[in-house]
Amino acid sequence: MKQVNANVDESAAALKKLLPADDILQFCFTDGTGRRMICLFADAVTDKDLLGEQVFRPLMQYTGGEKAKQVAAHVTAPEVRTERALEKLAAEVLAGNPVLVWEGMDEGLVVGTKKVPARAVTEPPTDVAIKGPREGFVEDVKLNTALVRKRLKTGELRIEFLTVGRRSQTSVALCWLDGTSVQSTVDEIRSKLSAIDIDAVPDSSYLARFLSGRPYSLVKQVGTTEKPDIFCAKIAEGRVGVLADGSPIALTLPYMLIEDFQSGEDYFVPAARATFTRFLRLFALLVAIYLPAFYIASQLFKLQLLPVKLLLTIAGSIRDIPLSPSLEMLLVLLVLEVLNEASIRMPKYVGMALSVVGALVLGETAVSAGFVSTPAIIIIAFSGIGLYAVPNLIEETSVLRLMMLLAAGSVGTYGIILLSAFVLIYLVSTENYGVPLAAPFAPFIRRDLRDALMKYNLISLKERSQTIGSPNKRRQK
Amino acid sequence: MKLSARQICFFLAAVAPAGKLVLMPSVLAARAGNDLLFPVLAQIAVQAALVFAVLLLARDGRTVYAMIADMAGGLIARTACIVFAAFLLFASFVPLVEQKLLVQSLFYDTLPSYVAFAPFFLFSAFLCAKPLAALGRVWDVLALLFLTGFAGILLLSVGSADYGALAPVGNAGAERFGRGLAETTGWFYDAALLLPLAGKFEYKKGLAWKGALCSLLGGALILFFLATYYGIFQEIAVTQLFAFAHMSKYFSGITALGRIDYLFIFAIAFVMTFCAAMPVQAAADALTDAFGRTKPLAVSLSVLFNAALFAVMLVFNFAPSETIAAVTRRLFWIFPLFTAGAPLLLWTAVGIGRLIGRKTHAKK
Repeated sequence: MKQVNANVDESAAALKKLLPADDILQFCFTDGTGRRMICLFADAVTDKDLLGEQVFRPLMQYTGGEKAKQVAAHVTAPEVRTERALEKLAAEVLAGNPVLVWEGMDEGLVVGTKKVPARAVTEPPTDVAIKGPREGFVEDVKLNTALVRKRLKTGELRIEFLTVGRRSQTSVALCWLDGTSVQSTVDEIRSKLSAIDIDAVPDSSYLARFLSGRPYSLVKQVGTTEKPDIFCAKIAEGRVGVLADGSPIALTLPYMLIEDFQSGEDYFVPAARATFTRFLRLFALLVAIYLPAFYIASQLFKLQLLPVKLLLTIAGSIRDIPLSPSLEMLLVLLVLEVLNEASIRMPKYVGMALSVVGALVLGETAVSAGFVSTPAIIIIAFSGIGLYAVPNLIEETSVLRLMMLLAAGSVGTYGIILLSAFVLIYLVSTENYGVPLAAPFAPFIRRDLRDALMKYNLISLKERSQTIGSPNKRRQK
Repeated sequence: MKLSARQICFFLAAVAPAGKLVLMPSVLAARAGNDLLFPVLAQIAVQAALVFAVLLLARDGRTVYAMIADMAGGLIARTACIVFAAFLLFASFVPLVEQKLLVQSLFYDTLPSYVAFAPFFLFSAFLCAKPLAALGRVWDVLALLFLTGFAGILLLSVGSADYGALAPVGNAGAERFGRGLAETTGWFYDAALLLPLAGKFEYKKGLAWKGALCSLLGGALILFFLATYYGIFQEIAVTQLFAFAHMSKYFSGITALGRIDYLFIFAIAFVMTFCAAMPVQAAADALTDAFGRTKPLAVSLSVLFNAALFAVMLVFNFAPSETIAAVTRRLFWIFPLFTAGAPLLLWTAVGIGRLIGRKTHAKK
């Protein structure tokens, strides 16, 4: 590896050769003794005011020796260190830390005056809380670790930085509570992160795939949150957190399916209300998955499933529909998915018009034109709303809903039952970092049921989750 | 990973009973009339004793294959496992035919093609190929589902039942009791299903007692179901083939609410689907023990067994009642031969083995 040498021009030229981009700037000046100094920095990610104030101004008046330590002592920036390898110095420049080389010294000085453009800490749109903290993670990993540190002011909180991505050189922070998290899980996550060999990591979802036990699985296997309070609560529970630079979504491991039925707010409202809400979420999810399928199965194979009066109403409304029930339902579902996709991508103002066109024009006209029946639209609408009761499982649920619909349309209710049986076996046999995905229901862990679908009062939740297996069992005395 | 003692108990108390609610009640009503509880009572008592024996046998942590191989060598052990697996495949006929009839009756208005039932074998192969830990976890969920479904159906049904129809006790006589007892053996082989699991669950102190108690508890649920079933249908009980799906429809609230009981019926039907696949799973497991526990072998056996059973089901597609009749009336003796015979034989052999071991030790 090439190193800095005593000739400042040669060192600067070698660095510039490694960093030929136009946004890498070079500033030459002389110190109080007339010694030539060259500073290289990345234009957009360096705080130039701070650099001028804490580095250039004191050094222009510097009349001391040429040793790196002597120069460093004269710089007023709090984060200063020396480095010889040119490649490492170049990496620092790219990270936003200016590098200083000067005549007569074979070491460079790295100054921590990074300024990364970051948005302000705001409430995440996907995890809104009526009661409870409203802060959300942002795209800057340092700021995110600060939000975590603010909530867990303990020396046991360990934050380890790793670099992932050959070209993106993304900073990834591994967070855990020493003595509370399972050390083997920490080690396994660290080794999996270190083994990732990929060009770039634009978002933490890339890491999630690599950290999953079954990377090709339809079901997610890594917990995600945008809220530091939930992230810290999970770390305090014994889980391990992963923050990636450039992503506001934090990952938590090991993950259990029940986590997505719990929300941060459940812990700020009375236990009875939280329990009711969790059951409501489960009900909504089941309705979202099964309602369209059972509707189709009952129409095609078993009319008895429907009460007589409802059956008569449905019979009246589907009488003139040219499509078969399953094709009709698939069509309505497809329209819903397209509307959903388009409304997310479209600009806000066009989106308003889209909802009018989608809901009123398409829905109303399709029914009056006799393309689709009113019950089909009601059922899909109900299913669509139910899907959003558990927002973290939307991807999985919508695929499952489609599969159920196909099973119901081809084999009927028995198809739904068999597919559900397949899903059950799949879910119970999935484990991540030794923790079963379907715990605490399968395997049945009685102690953890106190904060699963049922939510006991916080005072009685004295012990940490048995499923995670934290060595520090007690949460409160 | 081993099964836990809790999972074994859940299976005996709240999963296995689901498989006994489809055709067995009507067979019993035909044979024993209003005394239908007594043959089942006897079956439950025997089954609990056998469960106790099997669980106690498994306390030293050895598989059945290992027990036999230690005493008589690998060849005999393998042969025994093959014979036992053949019995389990034979035992799977009744639940498979039941499942097929149930599917046709419960899920379709018109008779569907046999293809509608075919995906069951895919599911069964998938279950068989999964490790035992998954099976234990499935039992955890199924136990909860079965109890919910069972409680729901019974709550909606008890109001329509006249339990006085069970009197006078002893009306049927010894012969009908005997026939009822003989023809229901095809449904009581839980101990045989547990036998391939020996050495694959944690034996905790008192598990044998707990297992027997759970078996009795599951039996009590069946008895309660049968009493309610006969109390509702009485003389026409014999014609009610899938009683659990019809019992609750006489509840007065159904008229206003619609068939809400279908929620409970589907929950039980879901559990029954797993019960129907259990003997095949046990057969595959028994053979995997004998020929080396590897994933490719487990997958191959599960595919092979299910493909074979699918072929058999196609052959008997047009004669489901005759198949059930043949198994329960003419070949019923095979069930006690294996369910009771196998554990007793193993007990005797293990006892002799220990005796010989002690004598050898004393001589030394």
